[in-house]
Amino acid sequence: MNLLAMTIHLPVPGVAAVVTAQVLGVLLLPPLLMSVIAKTKAWFGGRDGPPWLQPYFDLLKLFRKGAVYSHTTTWVFRAGPIVSLAALLTATTMIPVLGPNSWLGFKGDLILVAYLFALGRMFTVLAAMDTGSAFEGMGSAREVTFATMSEPALFLCLAVLAISTGNLQLDDMLGTNLAGAWHSVGPAMLLVVGALFIILLTECSRIPVDDPLTHLELTMIHEVMVLDHSGPDFAYITYGAALKFTLLGSLLVHAAMPQVAWVGLPGALLWLAALMALALLVGIIESTMARLRLNRVSLLLAGATVLSGLAVLLVLFNKLA
Amino acid sequence: MSLALLALAVLGVGVLWSIVAGARQRVALGGALAAAAVGGILATVAAGTVLCGASIGPAEIVWPLPLGAVSLGLDGLSAFFLLVIGLTTIAASIYSWGYFRDEPPTRSLIGYGVFYCLLVAALITVVAARDGVLFLMAWELMGVSSFFLVTFRDRDPEARRGAWMYLISTHIGGAVGIFPLFGILVIRGGGTSFAAMSAAAAGLPMPWAVGCFVMALIGFGTKAGFMPMHNWLPAAHPVAPSPVSALMSGVLLKMGIYGLLRSLGWLPPLPIGCALALMGVGIITGSMGILYAVGQKQLKRMLAYSSVENMGIVALGIGVALLGRSLDRPLIVQLGLAGALLHVLNHSLFKGLLFLSAGSVLHSTGTQEFDRLGGLAKKTPRNAALFLLGAMGICALPPLNGFVSEWLIYSALFHTAMGPFSLSAGSAVVGLLALAFIGGVALTGFSKVFAITFLGAPRDATIHAHRTSTPMLLGMLVPAVLCVIIGTCPWLVIPLLNAPMAALGFVSVDSSLADAFAPLVLISRGALILAGVVAALALLRKCAGTDQPITAGPTWGCGYSAPTARMQYTGSSFGWSILRSFRRILLPRRQAHLPAGCFPATGDLSTSVPDVMLTKGYAPAFGWSGRFAEACRPMERWRIHVLLMGIVVTLVVMFAVETVFRPFWPAERSSAGAAPVHSAVVDGGAPRAGGLP
Repeated sequence: MNLLAMTIHLPVPGVAAVVTAQVLGVLLLPPLLMSVIAKTKAWFGGRDGPPWLQPYFDLLKLFRKGAVYSHTTTWVFRAGPIVSLAALLTATTMIPVLGPNSWLGFKGDLILVAYLFALGRMFTVLAAMDTGSAFEGMGSAREVTFATMSEPALFLCLAVLAISTGNLQLDDMLGTNLAGAWHSVGPAMLLVVGALFIILLTECSRIPVDDPLTHLELTMIHEVMVLDHSGPDFAYITYGAALKFTLLGSLLVHAAMPQVAWVGLPGALLWLAALMALALLVGIIESTMARLRLNRVSLLLAGATVLSGLAVLLVLFNKLA
Repeated sequence: MSLALLALAVLGVGVLWSIVAGARQRVALGGALAAAAVGGILATVAAGTVLCGASIGPAEIVWPLPLGAVSLGLDGLSAFFLLVIGLTTIAASIYSWGYFRDEPPTRSLIGYGVFYCLLVAALITVVAARDGVLFLMAWELMGVSSFFLVTFRDRDPEARRGAWMYLISTHIGGAVGIFPLFGILVIRGGGTSFAAMSAAAAGLPMPWAVGCFVMALIGFGTKAGFMPMHNWLPAAHPVAPSPVSALMSGVLLKMGIYGLLRSLGWLPPLPIGCALALMGVGIITGSMGILYAVGQKQLKRMLAYSSVENMGIVALGIGVALLGRSLDRPLIVQLGLAGALLHVLNHSLFKGLLFLSAGSVLHSTGTQEFDRLGGLAKKTPRNAALFLLGAMGICALPPLNGFVSEWLIYSALFHTAMGPFSLSAGSAVVGLLALAFIGGVALTGFSKVFAITFLGAPRDATIHAHRTSTPMLLGMLVPAVLCVIIGTCPWLVIPLLNAPMAALGFVSVDSSLADAFAPLVLISRGALILAGVVAALALLRKCAGTDQPITAGPTWGCGYSAPTARMQYTGSSFGWSILRSFRRILLPRRQAHLPAGCFPATGDLSTSVPDVMLTKGYAPAFGWSGRFAEACRPMERWRIHVLLMGIVVTLVVMFAVETVFRPFWPAERSSAGAAPVHSAVVDGGAPRAGGLP
């Protein structure tokens, strides 16, 4: 009886084709966004930058390479990239990316998405600790610490969206469903978007929290955790990082653009443009800002929590009034 | 019911067997453990029939005692906790055989068999008791038999200290909370049976009901380890033999939750403040418990603090259910209560697994200070995998069972937050915040413990680890398999929660509420997708890069050419960044003697996170009471008639209180036959309550 509910119905061939196109579009998108960030930073530096398709070439090259494994490592090290990417891919089925709907959303899927991110994080951290390197230990400790502080902020943001739309399904609490909330409690929505942006920068290890291009292992967070991964494992990790950016970015743009009711290809192109604009913004921030001192990052995240907490208060007061 | 009685009989045989066959240690222990395992299986089956069949009413055996009666019965709530007892007992009994069979013969080993069977029997009696006095007797037997199990290694001063701390705190909780609560209910109800107590509780005026709630919270909360009554857990758990730690953390703590739920089921619907208070207790217990867990250096001590955290999550779930009850929202009640109950079961499974696995580490290396360990995943790979499974479960990661119960509690909180009542919505948002924070810190703590113990390179060359024996692995496999089953097929377990929820009677179990649990099927679809994607990616990984070789080398040392295992990150340094962020609350200590000058000598650095409740609360309080008692010593030399005068004055004051406030006035005074019973209870009850601590 329950197996019946688990099967995904694809009755019409046309629908199947659309779904396939959507899946391919979402899966191919992440490296492009990384490319946008890289290009932006290059332009700010007065350079031409790598070709647009460079991230794809990098992934293909990595995928064809061999791998070097440390003597210290165990199966945990090999499982790390696989489980992390699998968790993110599973989360992809519940987050609307290039359209107003997710594929497999259900009531309460937001909790599953948050904990799938946590699953990926735990395996990245364990794989890093498996090498026995002090640097990777340092990166792991920072990663889990900052995640501990960004997770409450994320849940507060989700609570604001849930309260203002009365829904517990991610794709139902975003997009057009938020239009009313933007009208009645616009400031709260602005705060949520701001907090989500800080969470995005933290979770995706971007400036000002972490510098993905730094050269000193002592100061890294995400990059130092994956120092020992090579070949296809590293391809998984690179792709996973880009996918995480896409997913959190989609949450952000779907919360920030409530009025758009376009569907189909125009809608997909619009969301694509929005995501690229977000990547551009991240690129601009990376080009114009220095990273924060490590002990300041927790203040930034506390700030995000406070912003989302204020948003909760505004929404609750609005409901009361 | 007859199965549960049979289980008690088998356990009694186990006790006798280990005394009779005491001369041949292994035979005695084996018999006792076999009896316990059979008793566990019988209890599980008995619980399962009640939970599934539901047609078996509370069959009772009534055997009157001078005070109270041996009245046993199983309703839904009892059966659910009986299931928890049964499952953990099976696992711990199988494991114990592997743990102790190579132990050099000592007197303690006989004691282990005796008290282990007694403890399990007492646990079963606690949940099956239908009489207040029998419940209290079983409750005391449970405390005393676990005390003797904790002092298994009684030559160790730490073990003696932990056991005494346990005994004292559990009795203070009993004296302050449980005995007064039961006393009031028994006297007002005019009988010691649960039916009479329940009727008395339902008729309590509201201030008294709130008072009873507070007493239940303190009394049963001490057993469950709610803050600030949690201090016995981190003292007693690390020194107890590991199967006992598993049984204590997996089952004994839950008896506190059982008692709390039982009294909540009796009491009339409480005001909203009580629900908020319980949520507050849960939030503080959960967040502080897990923060302290991150600061620990011993494996089982860390697990003990994490038990405190999980009891906080359970309290949060019960609290939000009470909130839903006072808001008259059955959906929230169902979700919160189902989450709390399922978390009780889940925690007994993964914490049992983790304690057993930690015990295997202790057994094979001889230490539980994980900063000295490392690289055990290479030497004991199966144990490492089981520990990782338990750690993932306790961090509520999908697709394991912890996620399901936390999902239910999260859903309850989200539904409350979306409701129209501002105070409750605000507190639900605080609950969400806390639960997310607890989840994040738990991930930090368990990544740290697993990584430092099992991954990397061994930090201490003098420690040799041997493989985990088969009975130990089998014992751990029981909870591990159940963790995976509940996590991937939660819809299988949810029907089991109907009976306990119906027994509590917070809300009528209605089939229309079933759609609240409908997403659980979709969670299991999520788990299926996750498993599929992992398999696909692993396959893809196998196909990739076939033209180039896979080589092995040393870990990249970032340019440093001679790294040693001692240079690895330690658990203390891993947890320090988060502890430092909360230094104002946790007051961690850091002592550094850094190398200085042109020719630096050796330096050292040590950090510790002592429990603030202990150092700033209990230690001074007990110091003061000791000094007060010391100051009162001259009274010993007072004349006898002065002392007798004191007794008379106390009695007069008590009579005055009774006449004016009538706290012990029964609900109906009309029946003349009730009076002797009361006086008997007062006579018997007062010295018991006063004499124990």
